[in-house]
Amino acid sequence: MNKRIAPYYWMTVPAVVLFFIFMTLPALQGIYYSFTNYNGFGKGYDFVGFKNYFNLFQDDNVGNAYWFTFKFAIVVTILTNILSLLIALGLNAKIKFRNFFRGIYFLPNILSVLIVGYIFNYLFSNVFPIWGQNLGISALSTNILGSESLAWIGIVIVAVWQSVALNTILYLAGLQTIPTTLYEASNLDGAGKWREFWSITFPLIAPFFTINMVLAMKNSLMVFDQIVALTNGGPGRATQSISHLIYTGGFEGGEYAYQSANSVIYFIVIAVISILQIRFLQRREMDL
Amino acid sequence: MRTSLTKALGIMLLCGITAVLLSSCTSGKSANGKVQIEFFQNKPEAKGTFDELIKTFNAEHADIQVTQVNPPDAETVLKTRVVKNDVPDIMAMGATDTYSILAQSDIFADLTDSPLLKTIDPNYIQMLKDVTGMDKVTGVPYATNANGIMYNKTLFKEMGLDVPKTWDELIATAQKIKDAGKIPFYFTYKDDWQTNLPFNALGPNLVGIDFYLERRENKVTFKEKYREVAEKQLELMNYGHGDNFGKAYSDGNRAFANGEAFMYIQGTWAISEIRKANPNVDIGFFPFPTGNDPSQIKLVNGIDSLFTIAADTPHKEQAEQFLAFLVEPEHIGKYIKEQTLFSAVEGVKQDDPAVQELTPYIEQGKVIDFADHYIPAAVQLNSIVQSFLQNKNIDNYLNTLDKEWDKVANRR
Repeated sequence: MNKRIAPYYWMTVPAVVLFFIFMTLPALQGIYYSFTNYNGFGKGYDFVGFKNYFNLFQDDNVGNAYWFTFKFAIVVTILTNILSLLIALGLNAKIKFRNFFRGIYFLPNILSVLIVGYIFNYLFSNVFPIWGQNLGISALSTNILGSESLAWIGIVIVAVWQSVALNTILYLAGLQTIPTTLYEASNLDGAGKWREFWSITFPLIAPFFTINMVLAMKNSLMVFDQIVALTNGGPGRATQSISHLIYTGGFEGGEYAYQSANSVIYFIVIAVISILQIRFLQRREMDL
Repeated sequence: MRTSLTKALGIMLLCGITAVLLSSCTSGKSANGKVQIEFFQNKPEAKGTFDELIKTFNAEHADIQVTQVNPPDAETVLKTRVVKNDVPDIMAMGATDTYSILAQSDIFADLTDSPLLKTIDPNYIQMLKDVTGMDKVTGVPYATNANGIMYNKTLFKEMGLDVPKTWDELIATAQKIKDAGKIPFYFTYKDDWQTNLPFNALGPNLVGIDFYLERRENKVTFKEKYREVAEKQLELMNYGHGDNFGKAYSDGNRAFANGEAFMYIQGTWAISEIRKANPNVDIGFFPFPTGNDPSQIKLVNGIDSLFTIAADTPHKEQAEQFLAFLVEPEHIGKYIKEQTLFSAVEGVKQDDPAVQELTPYIEQGKVIDFADHYIPAAVQLNSIVQSFLQNKNIDNYLNTLDKEWDKVANRR
């Protein structure tokens, strides 16, 4: 009995220890500091109880960051899933150069977010405006990242462009689990392409739809790199996401404890959203 | 079952011990019998110059070895190292809010009576006291920079323009350039820190630095004092190019180097970058004419680099030796020449032709510090100014400045 169980401990215990040291411990430390006025360095700090949490709810920069992040996350989640499902359907069909196209569409996922961000940053400021001027479109003739009302669209474009790759791959995997016999049967019954999609394809890839929605939502709620590379939260605070606010306020602003409180709340918010999403979407999943 | 549990506990213990061992063996000292001094500095532009100076120093001192550390985003790296109690022996940074916070946390050695400060211009030592609000001096001011208006001499000559001495002349000159269908100012406001350059010139000149000392004690507000600053900054926006918020600092350096605009509100630190883009550009620099009485105008001149020694370094004496070497006129002369900065050591002159119009101000002490050195970083001045220039609402802007200042003060 013991002999057989030992290998499992060898596998799980180190993982638990590592997870505890690198994830749980820092998280617990963060919760601890959120009740102090620690500035991240220096020798002393005092306990301030719930003062940081109290201040958070009065800080309109926090409210502003939440508003931007949720608007951004919802738009990105919807666009990413629509586009990647369309691309996956195309790539699953019997087309020429199928593997070549699959490779091309996966490419954005391999590139580092920062590099992609800097490339797009250059395009937005030096290439697109010139096209806009030549075409005589005034909305396009300036850098949209420089406008308080439009900058978030620029970030959405880059984020969607990049996250479509991974979601496409997941949808492709989902599409390949559907037995072709079902399509043959529906063909015999005379179902059209549209009917086929809504009655067979979409219900059967429901588990993949769930995981893609949850992943896209979680990733875009935690958006950080794209913002650093494209706008650095600007103009003003128009594109400041919550994680960017936590980073800049906590490290550059020297308000470590205050932003720790912010991240504790943010952690709870993301966890609740993900659980609700899974609960809700899993209810409509079905098995063969 | 019991044995496997104890085994598991043993593994956990082992992992813990390894972790402790790994972390404790990093503080290596004097491998070759020399005293190792870590010199941490925040200017990537200055890395090459410091490398050469350090090489000379190490060659002259057989028992000391100085090593330069210059990571990207150095201020943040420094803060995280301070958290870990891994403070470098010598740190170089600007006299900013970061320096102020660290100095107030007592991590720097007290240099108030140090002979290192003997040759330093007392104005800059006073500046450090104002920034930290302490009487103790914990830094050696080294190089200073200036913020003003850069202009393209060739273009000015072609149009027969004179260097403006007052605010009205500045606006008239800009209008003339605009009427000729050219670009008066090249604004690079996609980077939010660029928007505070006019703020830094207008604020201290029109309102004064004392404002901030009083603001800390809640005696004045931005709303009462900063309206003129806001209005003038807005007025400048009429003389930009078409995409003021779409261009970043690096775009601006390139464009100005290639003669796309006549003037560029900038700091002296940009000169070397602009010359990299076009070595032949003929640059001039004049102080920001903030008002209409030329004799009242002061040059915005702040500490670009200062040196501090860690309070608990075991090698304080050697660190001081290295700093004494750096402030020698010959060595600081080399530094300011290569970096186009000004010396905080008295009697060392900057003779770069681009900044000749600024030197009289520095020699006569007609200088004033940057406003943002007095504003807590958590206020995030830059993004507030950037936002104001977009929506152009002065009341809203001044209220935001006061509100954010109070919020940060309450949280500290």
